[in-house]
Amino acid sequence: MKKILLSLLIVLLISLPFIVKSQYFLSLMITLFIYVVLAESWNLLGGYTGQVSLGHGAFFGVGSLVTRLLWINKVPILLSLPLGGLAAALLAAIVGIPCFRMRLAYFPIGTLALSMIALLTVSNIFIAAGALSPKLLKSYEIFSRYYLALFIVIVTIIIIYYLIRSRPGLAIVAIRDNEKAAAAIGIKTLKYKTLALLISTFLAGSAGGIYAFQHVSYYYDAPFDLTWSFTPPLTTFIGGISTIAGPIVGSICFLALSEIFAVTLGEVHVLIFGFCFILIVLFLPGGLLSIKTGSHVKKF
Amino acid sequence: MLQTLAYGILNGLLYSIIALGISLVFGVMRYLNIAHGSLIILGSYGSLYLFYFKLDPFISLPILMVSLFLAGIILFKLLYSNFVRLAEELRIQKSLLVSFGLMLVIEHGATMVWTSDEKSITPFYSGMSFEVFSGFYVPFIGLAGGILAIIVIIALHLFFSRTYFGKSVIAVSQDPEGASLMGVNVKRAFLISFGLSVCLGAIPSVLIGLQAFSPSVGITWFNKGIVVVMLGGLGNIYGVFPAGLFLGIVEAISVFFFGAPYREITGLVIFVLVLILFPKGLFGRIPE
Amino acid sequence: MLKVEHLDAHYEDLQVLWDLSLEVNQGELVALIGSNGSGKSTLLRVITGLLPPTQGRLIYKGTLLNNLAPHEIVNLGISMVPESRRVFPKMTVLANLEMGAFPSKAREDKHKNLNRVYEIFPILGERAQQFAGSLSGGEQQMLAVGRALMSKNDFFLLDEMSLGLAPIIVQNIFEVVVQINKTGISILLVEQNVPMTLRIADRAYVMESGRIVKHDEAKTLLNDPYIKETYLGIEQMT
Repeated sequence: MKKILLSLLIVLLISLPFIVKSQYFLSLMITLFIYVVLAESWNLLGGYTGQVSLGHGAFFGVGSLVTRLLWINKVPILLSLPLGGLAAALLAAIVGIPCFRMRLAYFPIGTLALSMIALLTVSNIFIAAGALSPKLLKSYEIFSRYYLALFIVIVTIIIIYYLIRSRPGLAIVAIRDNEKAAAAIGIKTLKYKTLALLISTFLAGSAGGIYAFQHVSYYYDAPFDLTWSFTPPLTTFIGGISTIAGPIVGSICFLALSEIFAVTLGEVHVLIFGFCFILIVLFLPGGLLSIKTGSHVKKF
Repeated sequence: MLQTLAYGILNGLLYSIIALGISLVFGVMRYLNIAHGSLIILGSYGSLYLFYFKLDPFISLPILMVSLFLAGIILFKLLYSNFVRLAEELRIQKSLLVSFGLMLVIEHGATMVWTSDEKSITPFYSGMSFEVFSGFYVPFIGLAGGILAIIVIIALHLFFSRTYFGKSVIAVSQDPEGASLMGVNVKRAFLISFGLSVCLGAIPSVLIGLQAFSPSVGITWFNKGIVVVMLGGLGNIYGVFPAGLFLGIVEAISVFFFGAPYREITGLVIFVLVLILFPKGLFGRIPE
Repeated sequence: MLKVEHLDAHYEDLQVLWDLSLEVNQGELVALIGSNGSGKSTLLRVITGLLPPTQGRLIYKGTLLNNLAPHEIVNLGISMVPESRRVFPKMTVLANLEMGAFPSKAREDKHKNLNRVYEIFPILGERAQQFAGSLSGGEQQMLAVGRALMSKNDFFLLDEMSLGLAPIIVQNIFEVVVQINKTGISILLVEQNVPMTLRIADRAYVMESGRIVKHDEAKTLLNDPYIKETYLGIEQMT
């Protein structure tokens, strides 16, 4: 039953550009895919490994930056994007792994600080906005971008789905539930935390790559904005951490609300989500999805 | 150079007061309140309103302090009181998440009400300074802020060492269960400490209000505060002052040599380095 | 004075106390003995309000203690000297003692009581400005007892005072306990050191696995064969 629904959904998504021709709507879908990939990547580190990062924007930004720079310098997008992801993972390797030395509770504020450092540095180096060369501008169309984004979403979900069910995945969840106990039974916690970190940041960087590919005029510091760090935990907690559907549900609601209120009240969707976030953390740590599955999330 | 140092010291005192609020809550109940900066900014807006009613921010400070104290108590009761009993590590994480949500709510609520424009309170004396000797100026507002900061340090010290309630708060921060066995109403101690922490934020509210503020700036000020808290040692309230001065001076020196944009980055880099190199904190004890 | 009636207690889903009843009358020194894990300290936690009972009643001088907060119970008149002392490590000896006088009724006589404590434990007077964390085990125990004395309460719960202390210091402390009892303070003494405890107590309860298994006058229990074998390690020749 589930498989049938899933296949139908995928067929729908693939054929969407032929059904709905609106450029605006397809662009919105791309943005949704970006949010989903970013949230899923965050969830891998935050929900499944228990390391709540408040600085994923740095990795999103780096992926975006590298992809953009490569792409406008004639490197084909299919190469630039993964390279962007790799760049993000590289940054994580350099900075993120030492972060694991921090006591667990300070990882969020440490990553937040990193994200701010990245934002400030990039804002100071890249002052002007970027534009596309006439050639790239002429060849801009939404179809390829849509399918690239869709492809990345599907790949992301597949990666996470199989990772969680594999042996490393078990180790990762064990670390989240009780790191000391996991270490005591011989799990090399640093190795698995690093694995989760690298995959997570690679995916986050890839999401950034889509962003770079999607935008015509490009502000280099925009993908480093703190909102990109704050939105993934926000949407994922509400949808349900430690589930695959959670980030998806959260992102859809978030984007929907932001579209509904965009013309009228502007910021209200974040305000609403903020309230819900507090309620969820206090009363329903498993997020909305846990109402349905009845699962009891102990860690948060 | 002397001028730079002077600015550094005055800024440092401001950072110390912000850090004091964060450290108080953390020391007593092991809560990490990342919304502290946003609450301060909320206070700045409050101060701005009082200014529209012709009240000078320094004069309306007591009103602001009382309001923020009450706000702190209400927030504690509503949001923070139902997980006081958790294990320490979980308490830090949960309070961090709740504060994160609170910060977003305040930030975006404020943007809706007051727009994201930068505001500032401009009484007649903004921008004025004393010329202590040729070429060396001390800004009036900065000086007032510094004096306030010192008064607060002394007042708090007296509170903790002379009053029974203050001593009970210290006892609670060392062993809440043990304190309850001495007859201390621990829940009330938590409540009042939290209120006190937000109330202390009224002073930065005024000082920041007199400079420039906008809804999204709260988290930046929080970061200043947490850097100082980490440098001075978690849970070590007295360490907050040397650490604040240190940060202020280092920042000022970095501006002197490298230019203005690097001021923020310096503090953050120091912060990350401290977190990584000294996972046990610089001077203070770590919660275990 | 203190009546415990049919008490049950749980840690989450695990039951740890079963149908427990005991009482301490005014002026008595009652012992609660049993080996590790028998639930003695748990019972004290329930009495002081740190753990709510799931069944049963606790009555002190006619007042129901169930569901009262610890600080309220202290204010009613019960002081506890906790297991492993739990002095405030970063406060001075003097500050610790002052915290003992936190209940408002104790504050007026603070100085008088302080001098009394210094009389009983002169070493505390010497170390008054030292941080409590730097004291030896025995000194910390004295400080913990001193704190209880500062509260002007007339019912003490003493939890495993002999734990980790050298025998001569334990002797000293037990003498002080007897002295305190003679001034009219009722005491419920929880201990693993059975012989010394039974020698100073009026009555004793024996706990095993969360239940009371024996209850009698202390003198009688000292000669009880079961007690002798289980707790005094004396082989019975039959």
